[in-house]
Amino acid sequence: MKDNEISITPGMLEEAETELARRCMSYARECGAQKVRITLNKSLLDLVGMLDGEVDKVTHALDRSLQVALFVDGRFGSFSSNRLEESELRPFIRQAVDTVRMLEPDAARDLPAPERVARDAVTGREMGLFDPVYATLTAGRRREMAVRTSLWHRKTALGQGFTLVSEEGEYSDSVFDTVVMDSQGLFARHTETSFEIGYEVTVEDPEGNRYASYWWDAAPTLAGVSLDDCSETAVRRAALQIGPQDIPGGKYNLVVESECASKLLNPVLTALGGYAIQQKNSFLDGKAGQQVFAENLTVLDLPRTAGETGCRLFDSEGVATAEFPIIDKGVVTRYFINTYIAGKTGLAPTVEDSTRIKVLPTGGCKGLDDVLRKVGSGILVTGFNGGNSNSSTGDFSYGIEGFAFTDGAITHPVREMVVTGNFIDLWRHLLIAADDARLCMSKLIPTLAFADVDCSA
Amino acid sequence: MIYQKEHYFHTFQVDVPLMDRLLKEALRSGGDYSDLYFENTAYGNLVLRDGAVAAGGNHIDFGVGIRVLSGERTGYAYSESIAPADMLACARAAAAIAPETAVIGDRGDHYVTAESNGSRMVKRHFRGEPNPAADRYPMRQPWSDGEMSAFLPFLQGLEAAIRQRDNRIVKVMATLAFQVTDLLMYNSLGELKFDTRPMGSVSVSVIFQQGGRVENKSTSRSFRCGAEMLTDTLVEEIAVQVTSGIDAQFEARRPKGGVMNVVMGAGASGILLHEAMGHAFEADFNRKGTSIFSDRMGDRICPKGISILDDATIKGNRGALNFDDEGVPGQKTYMVEDGILTSYLHDRISARHYGVSPTGNGRRESFRYAPIPRMRATYMESGGADPADIIASVPAGIFVDEFANGQVKIGEGDFTFYVKSGFLIENGRLTAPVKDINIIGNGPEALRNIVAVGNDLRVDPGAWLCGKEQSVPVSCGIPTVLVHGLTVGGE
Repeated sequence: MKDNEISITPGMLEEAETELARRCMSYARECGAQKVRITLNKSLLDLVGMLDGEVDKVTHALDRSLQVALFVDGRFGSFSSNRLEESELRPFIRQAVDTVRMLEPDAARDLPAPERVARDAVTGREMGLFDPVYATLTAGRRREMAVRTSLWHRKTALGQGFTLVSEEGEYSDSVFDTVVMDSQGLFARHTETSFEIGYEVTVEDPEGNRYASYWWDAAPTLAGVSLDDCSETAVRRAALQIGPQDIPGGKYNLVVESECASKLLNPVLTALGGYAIQQKNSFLDGKAGQQVFAENLTVLDLPRTAGETGCRLFDSEGVATAEFPIIDKGVVTRYFINTYIAGKTGLAPTVEDSTRIKVLPTGGCKGLDDVLRKVGSGILVTGFNGGNSNSSTGDFSYGIEGFAFTDGAITHPVREMVVTGNFIDLWRHLLIAADDARLCMSKLIPTLAFADVDCSA
Repeated sequence: MIYQKEHYFHTFQVDVPLMDRLLKEALRSGGDYSDLYFENTAYGNLVLRDGAVAAGGNHIDFGVGIRVLSGERTGYAYSESIAPADMLACARAAAAIAPETAVIGDRGDHYVTAESNGSRMVKRHFRGEPNPAADRYPMRQPWSDGEMSAFLPFLQGLEAAIRQRDNRIVKVMATLAFQVTDLLMYNSLGELKFDTRPMGSVSVSVIFQQGGRVENKSTSRSFRCGAEMLTDTLVEEIAVQVTSGIDAQFEARRPKGGVMNVVMGAGASGILLHEAMGHAFEADFNRKGTSIFSDRMGDRICPKGISILDDATIKGNRGALNFDDEGVPGQKTYMVEDGILTSYLHDRISARHYGVSPTGNGRRESFRYAPIPRMRATYMESGGADPADIIASVPAGIFVDEFANGQVKIGEGDFTFYVKSGFLIENGRLTAPVKDINIIGNGPEALRNIVAVGNDLRVDPGAWLCGKEQSVPVSCGIPTVLVHGLTVGGE
């Protein structure tokens, strides 16, 4: 595809729209803003929903929005509108500047220093996340792909011992295009296509008990997404849950499947966030540079891996992303400090948030089967059902679903179980991080194994 | 708030002939029914952090959603532009659902619901324009009157009131968010509805430090009303709630886990009702056969004397609606009456499927979404027991007074709730404080195992947000309730 064809792909920003954003920035300065950042987003999503083997819904969704961050007389405000006619935007911006003047001053608010922002995100395609096939898709082709993914009309061949009672799925594709510009000369663009399939199914056993599960896949390219086995995987996962048994509470080895392992790392990443640190609402406050977790835990941020979901050259402020360790052999090495939090705390600015987290493998296991064999016995967690954590203390309690395993082999599903603990303690008991992270997920977190986790049943 | 219809026609620059043209385009491939949903939402927010209201802003969300129904199938598209050409293109995109299955010439009839009226069936329309006198959320002081600066003293006063109650406070963050949404709905049955929905929410998070330990507490209040909600009474109420019980929270420990009797405190424990039962009563889950209650209509699902309902009629409540997002009048819907499952919560699609009248539960997050069955204010009616007697009747168990969140698996009915604070019950008395634990169980089993219902129903005034596919504001409530045999996760 040629460059000029990219610009006319539906759902992508056109030059007239970026010019409008530039004029809005100029106008905000005319109204009295000393500094301005504008973020212009545009996206187009097409979706075909399936219910029990038939097309159940089609959706076509084109979105645009203009976000304006205003720095006026030492004060700050953020505004947005999806009414992108210039006649609507000009009074909106004038009123926005007036509104900021009414707020209390905050000396910590500023644009990022020009030397920190990305200069290498010019066309939006530098990360290789735009699939030209997207522009060739038609409504008929989308419908054909969606219909093809359903198992409903072949359900009699699915297996013994259960009935498929409901199958609901969606095929969708989208393009997302964003530009961040500021009054200090920043211009950064990111363009990404996404293709996704997802199924939720419910099966029923001969006694009438129902079990639900799901599966999904996504990729920046159509060729990268596995469309055909999604529903079958969901059915298999649902059927495996038939016949759950109670097991006694106690301390168990816990193996957490890669599909749901982010549940245990996300609160750690949140605790490393600048707002949590600054607000004293983080169990990792004051832990930078300390050996907090097990030595076998290393977590990297790899935001510049071309072709991988979610990778970006810049954050929401336009600051250039970089590859760096967040936790290195158990030592906390990085907080996520944006320009504002840096101004509030005196900490050196980094980036606003993590982009492409990767937990490095440890323990010499390739995938789930290896992990079960090596751990021997315990509970395999395949999903979390509710629960929460205390951001100040790191204490957590989550409902889980999964299986008991003995001698490296799954024995039966478990039900109504809860795991409780503290994140620092949990990650100190990390036994294994396998090498099976799903590429479709925004964070590359593999199957994990922990020792001595409290389980109630 | 309900203004004259000209206000809405002017806001969206449409009239009935133009809307008829859009509907005609949407149904040109032969759909059964089509509707238009125009929305103009103006949001504002102010944030107090580190002693200053130094962040805030305004946001506008504007557009029209066009839906075409063909049988029970949905075509949906939206436009952020109200230029006629853009809306017509949007209508054509939504029409794409129809070609395979539509019955041309049958427009609308499938969606005129039939309702039993003695021996004959009558068609049920929701015609007639909205009645301002029946408005469930009038604004005495509209949010758009005056400047945002007028709200700064409220947040500043709130912080001062909170800080003076406890010297262990190290951080206070308070947010005031408000929005006003103008809506215009028109459909191929000729029903025209318009509405203006306000919402004001105050959220507070406080960090306490005692020795080397840190604890946090948070609370919120949310109402469909204008800025008249920002009173000294509200300041005091929030300040008391967000600082009370902190001593117990510092002392609290996780209890030993196991199967226990659980007493749910009145009010916010209603989240259990919302998650564990309410979602399973939403008719789309039942229409698709995924709910554990799919085949239970008319069955006894809990003991006599228990009634559970979903209510759009509580004036000023966060879940109140004059009309749902399909133009169906907001109403009070009994899901369980005296222990018997009597109704699901319906949108137009599921009502058609079941041959009943829609219950006004068709809701959506914004014009970007097609409506689906959603709850509004869900609660259990009061029973006859004294709450103190309920606690006194429990030899060993847990009393829960603050849930943080919950989740349910609709197919199995399994639920999990995170308990922010509560107490052990030992020999009928509240003893050691507990925190950060989960309660898990199964919805139908829990309903069957309710053994006492207090006489103290309280609908919680917090800013509850339900996230089933789309986010919509809801509220929940419950009287003090004793449930036997729930699993409590502990040490």
